[in-house]
Amino acid sequence: MKKLRFTLLVIALAVLVIIPAVADVPVRKEELIYSIMAFLGKEYSGTFARQDAGTFYIMAGVDNFITIRKTLVYFWPITRDWKVDTDALNKPFEGTIEIKGKNMPLKKLKQVRYTYYNAPGEYQVNWKVFMGSAADKEWKKYSELVAEYWKAVGQYYKDKARYEAGLNALTKRISEARKKGEDTKKFLKDLNALKKPPEQPKGPSYYVRPLEKAFIFNLPPGEYTVRFLTKDGKIMEGSEKKVVVYKKRRANGVGYDVIPADRWTRPVQSNTPSSVLYIDGTTDLYLRPFYQDEFNDLYYNKTIKNDSRGNPNIMKWVRIQQVPKARVEVTRKGATTQVVLEKPYYIQQTKGASLGYKIVPFDPKKQGEGRQPSLRAFYIPIQRDMKYLKVSLQDKNGNYLKGSDRQVRIIIRSQNSLFILLLSLLPLALMFLVIAIRSKKYSQG
Amino acid sequence: MNYRLNAVKAISRRKIFETFITPGFYIALSVSLLLGYFLINGFINSIDSSGLNYGLNPVYELIAKSLSGAFGGTFVIKLFSEGPFLFALYIAYIPFLLYLTISSVFKFGFEKKVGAIELLVYGPSDGTSYFLASLVKDIVLTFVFLGAILIFFWITAIVNNLVLGPEFFYSCIVILFLSLAFFSYGIISSVVTDSAASGIALFLGISVFFIILQMGSFAIISGYVTNLSNVLAWVVKWVSPLFYWHLALSSIGYGNGGVFVVNLFLLLLLSVVILVISHLVLKARGVRV
Amino acid sequence: MIQTEGLTKKYGDFTAVDSVDLSIPAGEIYGFLGPNGAGKTSTIMMLLGITSPTAGRIQLFGEEYTSGRLDLRRRIGVVPEKHPVGMWSWMTAGEYLSFFADIFGLKNPGKRIEDLLTQVQLIGVANKRISEFSRGMLQKLSIVRALLHDPDILFLDEPISGLDPIGIKQVRDLIIAENREGRTIFISSHLLSEMEKICHRVAIIFNGKLLAEDSMDILLLKLARDREIDIDLEEVPAGLAEEIEKLDFVNSVSVTENTIAVKVPKEGDYRKDISRFLIKKELIPLQFKEKSISLEEAFVTITHDNVKLLAGVGGKA
Repeated sequence: MKKLRFTLLVIALAVLVIIPAVADVPVRKEELIYSIMAFLGKEYSGTFARQDAGTFYIMAGVDNFITIRKTLVYFWPITRDWKVDTDALNKPFEGTIEIKGKNMPLKKLKQVRYTYYNAPGEYQVNWKVFMGSAADKEWKKYSELVAEYWKAVGQYYKDKARYEAGLNALTKRISEARKKGEDTKKFLKDLNALKKPPEQPKGPSYYVRPLEKAFIFNLPPGEYTVRFLTKDGKIMEGSEKKVVVYKKRRANGVGYDVIPADRWTRPVQSNTPSSVLYIDGTTDLYLRPFYQDEFNDLYYNKTIKNDSRGNPNIMKWVRIQQVPKARVEVTRKGATTQVVLEKPYYIQQTKGASLGYKIVPFDPKKQGEGRQPSLRAFYIPIQRDMKYLKVSLQDKNGNYLKGSDRQVRIIIRSQNSLFILLLSLLPLALMFLVIAIRSKKYSQG
Repeated sequence: MNYRLNAVKAISRRKIFETFITPGFYIALSVSLLLGYFLINGFINSIDSSGLNYGLNPVYELIAKSLSGAFGGTFVIKLFSEGPFLFALYIAYIPFLLYLTISSVFKFGFEKKVGAIELLVYGPSDGTSYFLASLVKDIVLTFVFLGAILIFFWITAIVNNLVLGPEFFYSCIVILFLSLAFFSYGIISSVVTDSAASGIALFLGISVFFIILQMGSFAIISGYVTNLSNVLAWVVKWVSPLFYWHLALSSIGYGNGGVFVVNLFLLLLLSVVILVISHLVLKARGVRV
Repeated sequence: MIQTEGLTKKYGDFTAVDSVDLSIPAGEIYGFLGPNGAGKTSTIMMLLGITSPTAGRIQLFGEEYTSGRLDLRRRIGVVPEKHPVGMWSWMTAGEYLSFFADIFGLKNPGKRIEDLLTQVQLIGVANKRISEFSRGMLQKLSIVRALLHDPDILFLDEPISGLDPIGIKQVRDLIIAENREGRTIFISSHLLSEMEKICHRVAIIFNGKLLAEDSMDILLLKLARDREIDIDLEEVPAGLAEEIEKLDFVNSVSVTENTIAVKVPKEGDYRKDISRFLIKKELIPLQFKEKSISLEEAFVTITHDNVKLLAGVGGKA
């Protein structure tokens, strides 16, 4: 009986949970959308402009890839997000896009084949875009590289199997000899004669996107109107959109990831140039500097996702990439300037019953073969009594990077809080004094 | 002109003296400093090993969430990037500005009604001298307020190892010009109305309208909209002191001193235009109710 | 000192002041009379530069006067009807006067303030808040304020209204004393008996038009219809009044105890004829008194009863 009651309770709960979910099944609606593969300054990101969206946003002076298609669009209440269901319907259109801007004559765009990839070198961001036959060539080259890689992988597994078979046979012979009480030293020669294990082949260090066809939008800053014309030259209904093309306000600013030693999983970003970083001074800091560009908050957010919100009156810094081979200059009050270099660190779990970790310099010998550093950063030791220090950044050539200054201040939770409170009430004391003086004057009259 | 200048000098001196012997000024200043104290204290209590953590202080959590909801996360980051003083300055400034403007508008309306301004006009003075004196008084008191706030914040900064920051100092300059424009709107509100109450109502109406307009154009939005209210906002923003205030502050953000100075000048120009209109209206309407 | 030509003020279609010509020479006490709504205040407001005329011109001290002429306005002192305590209430009398001395740009006004306060017997309350002042004290303070900068003309609007008899006398004496020192005084009042006592000349305004402007004696004479001669006798015999009334030149007779009031035409002097008639009746006149009409009577006459007469008696209607 008790078991039955429990089962009924579980069923009732399940029904309660399921019914609203069923009721909220999103309605899929067929819409004409613009698919946008937009460049964000550091990477490409895909979004789409729904039929109701009047505008989409892209960056100026870079290649953005636009396609127009019919698909199913629905609102997903859990993430409060619009989504597309291209599995159910995905009908791209071929034709022409007309673009018209205030200072630009009508321009007609045709779809072209394209591909792109990022090939990081010294800098993390190194995007290359290819169009038309160049794209075909690049894709062919990459496909060949991939094919070669897979061929090498096949060979690797064969070599590996061969190696492992030889090794196993030798091991078997050694153990049989050992069982018989024979001298196993004679196998040393055979062991040495075995080839080294095969090395796993490395694939291409970059990923080339498969060839696709799109309209390439590479426009100067401004506002444009676009519309789509089908192959027979007719304007497609509902295809008119406004395009806001914007540029960064400032480039190559310097921001920092600030990682406190006691909470390395929760770094904070210091983006605003010449800002002050207030800390309580209870732990050391690890800094990771990066280059950042400044964009309009609303425009940038909407480039990432056309349905997102933002503040059109505010510019925000966006992390672009690391500052390679940088040096951090640390100036403490009353001390000489110290140059700190980037070093690898390792997060080590503390032993014993207490949960926790500590950040230690990375040492492959200590941390063990095959381990990788947990982070690469600039270590800034903090003492509570140091009050103030200033950090700034030098590039690989030793040049000071503008806007890289940050003050780090260790706040004092003062015992003088009451004194400050009383200070704020000082005007009231003055008021009573003035009233007393005036009263005295009147009484003399 | 000498008579008018002399009258402005004498009346403003009397008004400043009157302010210093009445409780309103001290109460408003104390309220401003207290607000500053609580905001700075809250900020200090929101600092942990990695920096500002709004969650540590319920007041700051509420402030950050509200501001972030209205104006976006980037706004909040920028607001506190130099410390608590920029935000505390503006929050402390609001009650003091309200006190100054409302008391001036009230006095203008009241003195006009009881005939006190008329009495001044019997001397070698006129309505314009009166409102200019009122303006001088308000400017002087704004200086006093900024001086008091500077000293108070400076002591707080020293005691807690905080720093005031360049944006704070730039804002102090902008506040002077912004106040001038608001004082001018207070004057024109008094000039075109017949009673203290209607003057205050008009001034508050204008101010609230500008604030809503500014907040509306500054709020986070989800799309590109052009409608009648946007067009109206575009037209009205040119007479809103907050528009130039915002432009001046933004220019500090990207280090453009020229734009900063231009916007200060535009605030000044706006004030002069409003004062000239007030002068002409007062000349036509007279100082008798 | 003050001259207006065709001074006119219109509020829409309503004409408050209609082409008024005033002429106030230096050193006079000039009374400006008129009932409520006659255009008195509108005229004064224009003279003080508070409002601008719709038409006409004002000359002050021989110079064209507009509201922007603060230099000319500086030579005027004004005592308004109501003292606007309002925003001054926190001040002491001394602070209040110092403030106005400041506006007038007076250097070291302490002595003058002290002298004037002494003159009006307010020196003892110089450090008292003016919010605690009585109406009379405020009025005196207001006059002191108006005199601070030693103006050439003093405008007083209802200066004694609401004062007690002592206050009235103090203010009256002050006005007369100031006039004796050469100050021109312009008074607007409805207390005609007081005006009669202190004014050298008066102007009467009615319905926006200036009905009369003349010296007090001439105006009263002009406006009187009859001359009244009061004769004191030891005893008034029965029937005497009727007999006197039968005389050709007598308009009317009335008797009050031992006094016979005889009204005769204002053009002639009939005292000899009356005297001769009484002696003939063996009556000895103890005293002859000639009584002129009061300003109040004249005011009523001019504004209500006898507008037509004015054209002939110097009115400018």
